[in-house]
Amino acid sequence: MRWLHAFGSSICRAQAMHTTPAIPVPVPVLRLPRGPDGFSRGFAPDGRRARLRPEAPDIQGRPSVQESQDSREQQARAALRERYLRSLLAMVGRPVGFTLHEGVHVTAHFGATDLDVANFYVSQLQTPIGVQAEALLRCSDIISYTFKL
Amino acid sequence: MAMRQTPLTCSGHTRPVVDLAFSGITPYGYFLISACKDGKPMLRQGDTGDWIGTFLGHKGAVWGATLNKDATKAATAAADFTAKVWDAVSGDELMSLAHKHIVKTVDFTQDSNYLLTGGQDKLLRIYDLNKPEAEPEEVSGHTSGIKKALWCGGDRHILSADEKTVRLWDHATMTEVKSLNFSMSVSSVEYVPEGEILVITYGRSIAFHSAASLDPIKSFEAPATINSASLHREKEFLVAGGEDFKLYKYDYSSGEELESYKGHFGPIHCVRFSPDGELYASGSEDGTLRLWQTVVGKTYGLWKCVLPEEDSGELTKPKMSFPETAEEELEIASENSDSIYSSTPEVKA
Repeated sequence: MRWLHAFGSSICRAQAMHTTPAIPVPVPVLRLPRGPDGFSRGFAPDGRRARLRPEAPDIQGRPSVQESQDSREQQARAALRERYLRSLLAMVGRPVGFTLHEGVHVTAHFGATDLDVANFYVSQLQTPIGVQAEALLRCSDIISYTFKL
Repeated sequence: MAMRQTPLTCSGHTRPVVDLAFSGITPYGYFLISACKDGKPMLRQGDTGDWIGTFLGHKGAVWGATLNKDATKAATAAADFTAKVWDAVSGDELMSLAHKHIVKTVDFTQDSNYLLTGGQDKLLRIYDLNKPEAEPEEVSGHTSGIKKALWCGGDRHILSADEKTVRLWDHATMTEVKSLNFSMSVSSVEYVPEGEILVITYGRSIAFHSAASLDPIKSFEAPATINSASLHREKEFLVAGGEDFKLYKYDYSSGEELESYKGHFGPIHCVRFSPDGELYASGSEDGTLRLWQTVVGKTYGLWKCVLPEEDSGELTKPKMSFPETAEEELEIASENSDSIYSSTPEVKA
């Protein structure tokens, strides 16, 4: 007998039937929808819609001034990014003061950040309602932070 | 043999899904975009729910998302006071349009030349996407934050909804043509071009109005507060979902409740039929999107109808297996790969 697998916890109200009512059988599916791969933003370059992509940037007649301006900007961005990452490294283990929304200030010892700099792992977080041994601060909640080098 | 609806759950978002939209039907199928409070709207293949990519760039909750007709562009509205326009093929951000408050809603014209935005600053804005540096046209008049704004009537009219009113504007003159007042908060508006119908939900009511005149056509009451409803383009059914976590399907002519489905673990915020009407998608507070068949048991997308007679001769066909066992999974061509699905994902650079 072919196996039929149920997914999820959906419950269907039974349709009125003229014959003796059978136990409803869940509609079989080939597989579940694929989710994000967890390490990229997707939009596969070799996907089916690849031919709709704009042309690669080696179009004839593109002025070289534009190109060197772009690479200068890219270099500047890279330098700023590196400085920021090094500033995060410099913060590790030090006390940091965070300014959050609603005029709230807290201090904590900085531990680490995650890949997207979305969360800061801190310890000994001094909050208005007590000291938290370890905590995660959402970066989207942080307006600014300061620390002494 | 009675068949039971098997919803397909699309995971990936980490916070509530507050808006979703389908593209039109393109040579590559149709697509679905979801807006999420995690700030990362996602593009999916519409008939399977397969993830294609995530638009990265917003710094706050994304409240509205839409695709243009051929799914080459996407637009999103966010709590970071910007609306962004994206290349929906590459995932790149094309434009960031600064606003003075949270942006809640975005809509492209049919020709993708203009983008309509609306939000908490109570202004409707129309951006010419061919002149992104130019100042947008602004339409004022709303007295509370705009929740939804849509082009209708062949892009000659604008339909906008705030807390308690729905207003119709003439695009050419930028003046208000008609308005409707509601006793309860308007939760959603859908425009159905085939028939020029507006589907407006407020409280437990699902109301249908003419898109040209705003005249009421009919309305139904649901058992619970409804957050979103969608009318099938052939106007046989409508689906609605809201605060009781359930999806309801009604007969449009009679208002009779045909089916109801549990499955979501939180209130449903948005529900839309696909452009071909074969399925509908729901987005929920529980962070998931679910795809539901319009005709339960039909072979479509990932759903495969099995008839009792198929049992005898089909033993060598690939088994419909649990997703955890990766053996013999049938591949449906999707945006991300044309080849047969392999169980070990390639590491992308």
